[in-house]
Amino acid sequence: MIEVTGLAKRFRSLTAVHDLSFTVGDGEIFGLLGPNGAGKTTTVRMLAGLIAASDGAARINGHELGEDSQRIRAITGILTESPGLHDKLTARQNLAYYGRLYGLRGGALREAVNRYLRVVDMTDAADRRVGGFSKGMRQKIAIARALIHEPEVLYLDEPTSALDPSAAKSIRDFVATLRDAGRSIVVCTHNLDEAERLCDRIGIMRGTLLEVDTPARLRRRNGTARVKVDLVGARRPESFLDLMGSLPFVSAARANDGSLFVEVDDPRGDNPELVRALVEAGARIIGVNEEAATLEQVYLDLVGEVGERDARTIGEVA
Amino acid sequence: MRPGYIGAVVGKEVRDLLTNRLLIGAVAFPALIFASIPTGIVAFIQINDLDPEQMGQIGQYLAMFPDLPPKLAAQGFIVLNFMAYFLLIPAMVPMAIATQSVIGEKTARSLEPQLATPMEVSELLIGKAIASALPAVLATWGVFLLYGLVNGAIADPRLTNLIFNQVWQVTMLTLVPLICLLSVLLGIIVSSRVNDARTAQQLGSFIVIPIIAIAVAGFFSGQPSFSMQQVIIGDLVVAVLIGLALVVGNWIFDREQILTRLG
Repeated sequence: MIEVTGLAKRFRSLTAVHDLSFTVGDGEIFGLLGPNGAGKTTTVRMLAGLIAASDGAARINGHELGEDSQRIRAITGILTESPGLHDKLTARQNLAYYGRLYGLRGGALREAVNRYLRVVDMTDAADRRVGGFSKGMRQKIAIARALIHEPEVLYLDEPTSALDPSAAKSIRDFVATLRDAGRSIVVCTHNLDEAERLCDRIGIMRGTLLEVDTPARLRRRNGTARVKVDLVGARRPESFLDLMGSLPFVSAARANDGSLFVEVDDPRGDNPELVRALVEAGARIIGVNEEAATLEQVYLDLVGEVGERDARTIGEVA
Repeated sequence: MRPGYIGAVVGKEVRDLLTNRLLIGAVAFPALIFASIPTGIVAFIQINDLDPEQMGQIGQYLAMFPDLPPKLAAQGFIVLNFMAYFLLIPAMVPMAIATQSVIGEKTARSLEPQLATPMEVSELLIGKAIASALPAVLATWGVFLLYGLVNGAIADPRLTNLIFNQVWQVTMLTLVPLICLLSVLLGIIVSSRVNDARTAQQLGSFIVIPIIAIAVAGFFSGQPSFSMQQVIIGDLVVAVLIGLALVVGNWIFDREQILTRLG
């Protein structure tokens, strides 16, 4: 379990991360989303015991950051932004080297190397130098390296970048099995689709966490949801707009291309009333679908808001 | 300090080195050149009798070897005089290996995953230092051994005894490893500031200047080799420089500095 309280990191006059607080439970995948320079890598480096925090505290599976950094590094697996492999060594030698650095020896080391070469489907290329590998192959070896010592906590920076769709899916599936095995996993990504598919909760970050929630709740953060009602028959959708305006739970409505787009507060509670009112008014409904905001919209809204606020602050200072 | 971690780093570095033919050449070539030039001169003197007029010109040098016949004394002067250049091998080679190693890690961005393991930065650096210094120490010792045996075989066994004298035994066992260590540390420090191995090696190559100066001064002063006192002073000076380099290296190679500056 990862427990972070008020974590901050300053590099001289630059504050990279401030007031960062969140938890990642056992068996949970937590996504960190944010633009370049948002502090994701700095956060991961602090939590992995690589750099010291300027302020705040964190406990990783009961170990205090700072005091037990060596122990934290021993139970942590990290996939760095760049694979960072040793090109002159073979895939097997790369994994064996890191296995040794994590304390594996002899038969246990050989077994772990073979197991993770199989997991990332790289057994056939095991004895080739990684210098000749494609980006995707290098990424797979870097993932195997992060897992070689069966870490209790895992940080994955863009885990499926450079992978083809089937390799990306197999890595995602494998990460899901690690979650099922009770590991705490933090995924840093720009890939919103991947975050939505993989993560149990997502934190949108820009220096600090702007919002943390499940992907589904994040999509509803504005409090309203849009419902699309598809109609057929002689009456045009525009003719129902006045009716929509009279319903107390409808905050906005428009008609377009044979459909009504209605914004309601609570689709589960409001949709039956909406359908009843339309049918009583003579509408012939062939479909009702909730159109939630995409994670991308939410992300851009949040990051954009902060970006605008920053720009305003800079403008005011100037 | 845990030997297992240092051993893992040494093993990885040696494997890396063995795949780099150019670097192996850089280890072997200078050593062979420094040994073969005086050996060639010894062989030339052995085959061709020296002109009595030439013998007269180098009389003051020959007088340093009163127990040897003039021809062997001339060969003795040559072999001993060139031996100062043996110190160029530990000065140059470890630096070439160390700079290649650190710059290579920077380029490949492979320092971060290593620092993310339970290994301490000092263990990583010691492993790298051993792996960079060891080939140079072994090459110097190997060539020193060959040099003594081959020249003895070409001229006279007494030449072998002259080469394997007590001063040079102490030099090989103390000064050579110390120079190697200093060279590695300078290589690592310089590599942390630049991004290509060639620039690092050019900057680091200033270390050879004092050694060449000592060798040239020895030749012009008519002193064929070092005295024991000079070797001990040399050991102390290099040890102090190593201490300074360790202080600087320790600051530069703080885990956070490596990640935020060297990446």
